[in-house]
Amino acid sequence: MNLDNVPWCEKYRASCFADVKGQELAVDKVKSFLRQFPRKKAVVLHGGPGVGKTSLAYAIAAELDAEILELNASDLRDRDKINEIVKPASEQQSLFRRSKVILVDEIDGISSRDRGGLQALLKIIDDSSFPVIVTANDIWDKKFAKLRQKCDLVQLRDVDYKTILEILKDICLKEGCKVKEDVLTSISIKARGDLRAAINDLQLAGKHEEFEQIGDRNKETSIFSALEYVFKNAKIDVEMLRVFDSVNMPIDEIFLWIEENIPLEYKGEELAKAFDALSLADVFRGRIYRHQHWRFMVYEYFLLGSGVASSKKYNRTGWTNYKKPTRILKIWLQNQRAIRKKTICQKYARYCHISVKQAMKDWLLIRFLLKGKEIRERLKLTEEEAEFLDRKV
Amino acid sequence: MVNGSDVWTEKYRPQKFDEVVGQDEIVKRVKSLVNSVNLPHLLFAGPAGVGKSTLALIVVKQLFGPSWRENYLELNASDERGIEVVRQKVKDFARTRALGNVPFKVIFLDEADALTREAQQALRRTMENFTSTCRFILSCNYSSRIIDPIQSRCVIFRFKLLEKKDIKTRIDFISQNEGLNVTQEGFDVLYDASEGDCRRVINLLQATASISPNITPDLVGTIISQAKPSDIKVVLEYALAGDFVNAREKLLDIMLKESISGEDVIKAIQKEVWNLPIDNELKVKLTEKTGEAEFRIVEGSDAFIQLEALLAAFVLAGEGK
Repeated sequence: MNLDNVPWCEKYRASCFADVKGQELAVDKVKSFLRQFPRKKAVVLHGGPGVGKTSLAYAIAAELDAEILELNASDLRDRDKINEIVKPASEQQSLFRRSKVILVDEIDGISSRDRGGLQALLKIIDDSSFPVIVTANDIWDKKFAKLRQKCDLVQLRDVDYKTILEILKDICLKEGCKVKEDVLTSISIKARGDLRAAINDLQLAGKHEEFEQIGDRNKETSIFSALEYVFKNAKIDVEMLRVFDSVNMPIDEIFLWIEENIPLEYKGEELAKAFDALSLADVFRGRIYRHQHWRFMVYEYFLLGSGVASSKKYNRTGWTNYKKPTRILKIWLQNQRAIRKKTICQKYARYCHISVKQAMKDWLLIRFLLKGKEIRERLKLTEEEAEFLDRKV
Repeated sequence: MVNGSDVWTEKYRPQKFDEVVGQDEIVKRVKSLVNSVNLPHLLFAGPAGVGKSTLALIVVKQLFGPSWRENYLELNASDERGIEVVRQKVKDFARTRALGNVPFKVIFLDEADALTREAQQALRRTMENFTSTCRFILSCNYSSRIIDPIQSRCVIFRFKLLEKKDIKTRIDFISQNEGLNVTQEGFDVLYDASEGDCRRVINLLQATASISPNITPDLVGTIISQAKPSDIKVVLEYALAGDFVNAREKLLDIMLKESISGEDVIKAIQKEVWNLPIDNELKVKLTEKTGEAEFRIVEGSDAFIQLEALLAAFVLAGEGK
């Protein structure tokens, strides 16, 4: 096979446990699954796209020196195919020197209406005398209830950007391609835990020099110049679409910067429009958290940049002194100040069988109830706490 | 001045099935389940302060007698940050056998509807795993927020809002014991301020009694106004006057100091809109915006951003008023 035409994400797939980077916990869990086999006959590797589920599956096979039998979700409906693969696997084990591993990749693809497919998988697990590995993005779907009972569940976390960066550097070294460090960093951050996407981006960056140039040109972009670009220009162009690409900052922080500074530039209708764009970006963020649908990131960035920019009617000139976000600091300060209130509420909540949150909400009323010395002793309030209660509002 | 030696909501919490007011049908059925000793998982659904926790406590006291504390674990889902914590605590608790002659322990998971769907899925596994040693009593405000598989494993009881006469019975009992003089008008004010939440009525009563044993409408009114969260109206007035920056400062301030969630703020705004000095047409528009903001809070991840967006809409409306 000519490796030159192979995508790097395939070429550099992990081939043993040591190669699986950034998933130490998952690897440990898999090892323990293998040690205890056949207590559970199957293991589900689940996590977001590109975090290394399939790679880990191949690494397992390599570690066991086993042959991989791969089934994809559509095969599961095909009884003949299952018999063809599983029958030998369950019956002829002693005849083969090499052991086997059955891999069912991307089980999410199976439709919930298609009970047959899942039933087939459960049967495979029951019949197989070899380990079965299942990979999934979301294993908590209702339809996988039975499957979860039969399997060990191993979650793969999003790969953090430093690990991605190391891997990218390593690949660059092996490929002998020179990509600037800040481009690598930007790729690693943008990938948001998706290692495969990062490697694909890197391959593109290595091939196309102009990509590198873009990275070059923008490399010093600070959040301040990005804000200026968004807030001053009314025209939406290609630059605007990737205005945050070279800002070395997590997107959640970009949210805060935009939020803080919108009122410095916009008034009235523009203000409402800009906040509407920000608000929609946050809705997409919520959906990403909830459904792990990372593609929505595109819209987050789009709304934060072009969305906020297009709220204005005309170009701005002049210089604006953009402010650092203050909300997080204020929240922290308040929590520090209210630390006694919190400990009192914790004691009260425990005593009265309610949540601490509820107690915090009822605080103004609770102050009246905790006046008596006896009550305070009953709740085991400390002197500092008692003093805090006696303080004037 | 009545100083009080205990928190009344605890001092006067019903200890036996017969003492519970206003939930006769539920009490009867739960009592018969407990007497059969073979207790299923229970799901108590209903508004705040109608007796869900009280009934759960009575169940364990009936089951275990004096050793109930050793056999009972109370968790509050809105405080336990992740399902991992819940699972670990459940595991630790369930590892040892129950004391006495009941073959299981009881875990009370309060505000279970605060758990995400994923956490509920995990909880359901936990319920299955420990079913031989543990029974769960879950409480929630809305059973629709509990996933079907959990609902189907529980016997569901729907608590109704307490009637005014039921709460009156309880308040009369407390007043007699504490030597208070509660006028009918005084009680009316207490009741109206509490939206049928018995715990809140009792808290208000005790707070008022800490000033004087004569519970008059005026005195209750004073306490209520002192204990009332700050007015969200100020924030809206800033916004309508075009001062966005001060409006959001004030809003953040109130939310932080008084531990109010974004959803509470939205509720307050929605009620307040109709009292604002603006055209009715604008009120309709702003209520629509408020609804959209509430929806986006549920869908989004940072409630404060959604509230800011709503304030910006108020600023815009203020210009056109």
